[in-house]
Amino acid sequence: MFKKILIANRGEIAIRVVKACREMGILTVAVYSDADRKSLHVQIADEAVYIGPAPAVESYLNMDRIIAAAHASGAEAIHPGYGFLAENSNFARRCEKEKIVFIGPNSNALELVGDKVRARQTMDKAGVSIIPGMNSIPKEMSEYEAAAKKLGYPVMIKASAGGGGKGMRIVCSEQELQPGLEAGRREAKSAFGDESVYLEKYIEEPRHVEFQVLADNYGNTVHLFERECSIQRRHQKIVEESPSRALDPELRTKMGETAKKVVRAAGYNNAGTVEFLLDKNNNFYFLEVNARLQVEHPVTELCTGVDLVHQQIRIASGEKLSFSQMDLQQRGHAIECRIYAEDPKNNFLPSSGKILFLKEPKGPGVRHDCGIYSGWEVPIYYDPILAKLIVWAENRESACDRMLAALDDYVILGISTSISFLKDIISHPEFRAGRTNTGFIKNHFEDWGEKEKNGDELRLALSAAAFDSLNSGSSRIKVTSGGQEATVSAWQALGHWRLGDGR
Amino acid sequence: MEFEFLIDNELRKISLEKKEDGYHIADGEKIMRADIQPISPNVLSFMISGHSYLVYIAQDKDKKYIFINGRQFIVQEPGRETKGFPGGEEKALEGKLLITAPMPGKVIKIHVAERQEVRKNQTLAIVEAMKMENEIKSPVEGFVKKIFVSAGELVDSEKPLIELEAKK
Repeated sequence: MFKKILIANRGEIAIRVVKACREMGILTVAVYSDADRKSLHVQIADEAVYIGPAPAVESYLNMDRIIAAAHASGAEAIHPGYGFLAENSNFARRCEKEKIVFIGPNSNALELVGDKVRARQTMDKAGVSIIPGMNSIPKEMSEYEAAAKKLGYPVMIKASAGGGGKGMRIVCSEQELQPGLEAGRREAKSAFGDESVYLEKYIEEPRHVEFQVLADNYGNTVHLFERECSIQRRHQKIVEESPSRALDPELRTKMGETAKKVVRAAGYNNAGTVEFLLDKNNNFYFLEVNARLQVEHPVTELCTGVDLVHQQIRIASGEKLSFSQMDLQQRGHAIECRIYAEDPKNNFLPSSGKILFLKEPKGPGVRHDCGIYSGWEVPIYYDPILAKLIVWAENRESACDRMLAALDDYVILGISTSISFLKDIISHPEFRAGRTNTGFIKNHFEDWGEKEKNGDELRLALSAAAFDSLNSGSSRIKVTSGGQEATVSAWQALGHWRLGDGR
Repeated sequence: MEFEFLIDNELRKISLEKKEDGYHIADGEKIMRADIQPISPNVLSFMISGHSYLVYIAQDKDKKYIFINGRQFIVQEPGRETKGFPGGEEKALEGKLLITAPMPGKVIKIHVAERQEVRKNQTLAIVEAMKMENEIKSPVEGFVKKIFVSAGELVDSEKPLIELEAKK
């Protein structure tokens, strides 16, 4: 087993990995940029190495600096977390060359699954059903036209190097094809430096169902059942759960076995996720492999009892899987909500700034994977994910109730977060009924607004504000309105007050 | 004592007075008595006719952030407004309009020049934060009086970006 691991990430996921290492008796090395000196992951790791300026390209994406930090600290392995360098096959290859263990899949498998068109070809050959569409990048416009006609509109344009919805767009008619392709190419070029795009049949309002897999270095492969992540906003998952309401035991087994087939066909090892789209008629299609620990991995951990980060580290250190498919069972129901620093009332604009106060939700079956603390300044440079709230209960109904109670118990003051939006999702009748698909947010939350404030709560808030002003001694109140504004201290104004005054 | 607060752009009055039997709160016609105990610097316990409410509160400049029963309220003290420029909103000061960024970020581009005329909703600048670009639009028809920042500069939500003068 490793003695020391460097974590090439920040925020809640870096903390998640530090905690796993600590439990396993492994020392941890954090890395940090100028923007993160006071971040939580730096505080809780055993060692921390400064790796450069705040912009990610100069720090968390800078391979030279991260490799140098690993050598300098004597770390034998690097855990990349998710995002940043996690799915970069060049980085995995570089680690292999530098004799540092990359805690993730081997570089060849990473390269294969990162190229969507090659992955489609491989899976098609292995007998895995893929979304009908092109299996190569055409040179001529006419080939796109012919393929689109054959598939039938609407079709989906996708970037070969894709991810995160970039370069993706729906085309509903022949007239829209050419402009769509041009825009898709431009987006793909700027996002990935590769303008290759291809066409797929557009699957209408599917569910997003993915399978967690683990594969050791000796060909032993298991799946740890599904997660449903249909609740997405602009192709970003926001609520995830396990199990999926859409699967029965037979379909679950079939999809799980297919996921294992995908992993074997790609020569994949360590932890990974095989994503599928499930259509209205329960046909499922291979979408892609996420070659990393997923943001939503905790829901699988809570339902299977397997610690996925421990497993990643064990597999990377050369251990064999200590359990087989037969040993794994799904128990109860887990839901995760991603807590983002964004303002749902204001077009989901990112909100940075100081967290004035934080109270984490607690209680039976409540897990909070968190990268923030009271007094921390949220930097503007990185992904706005602050934390993840995960609950587990005996069944879906109770898990929804527990999630709502936990969201109500979650206090973050000073910045805007997605909490109020998440509450309305979890309490939506269609969500409660399990009728979810990737169009859920678009169909039910297009013109979402925060609910009217309750008069009693508003009065209480004003009373609290008044109490606070009274006791902080800093209060000034306005005596005239419009034109010249004069302020006087609260004490001077005292004479004007009488009970029942005002509206 | 009477207090005035801005909440959701609405001015609200409330009076609070300490008496021997607790605090007397009057909100228009509604009058109630509360036992208010500070629990910790950010937590207040309210007891109102046998009901217990926990209120979380924190102050940043002229804003008080208050959390009750899963709801957040942002309450502003109107008399102290001029101490800072509330994010994302134009601020009228003797006919001048100061445009600020909606959140801290980096100025990507300034689309206008000083003395240039602008239409209402014309894009003045682009500010990027957390990998997202946001257009800053002109709230009025008028002209650009002064530009305080340049492309590439980091700004917080208080620093004015641009000063406009509205057309009369």
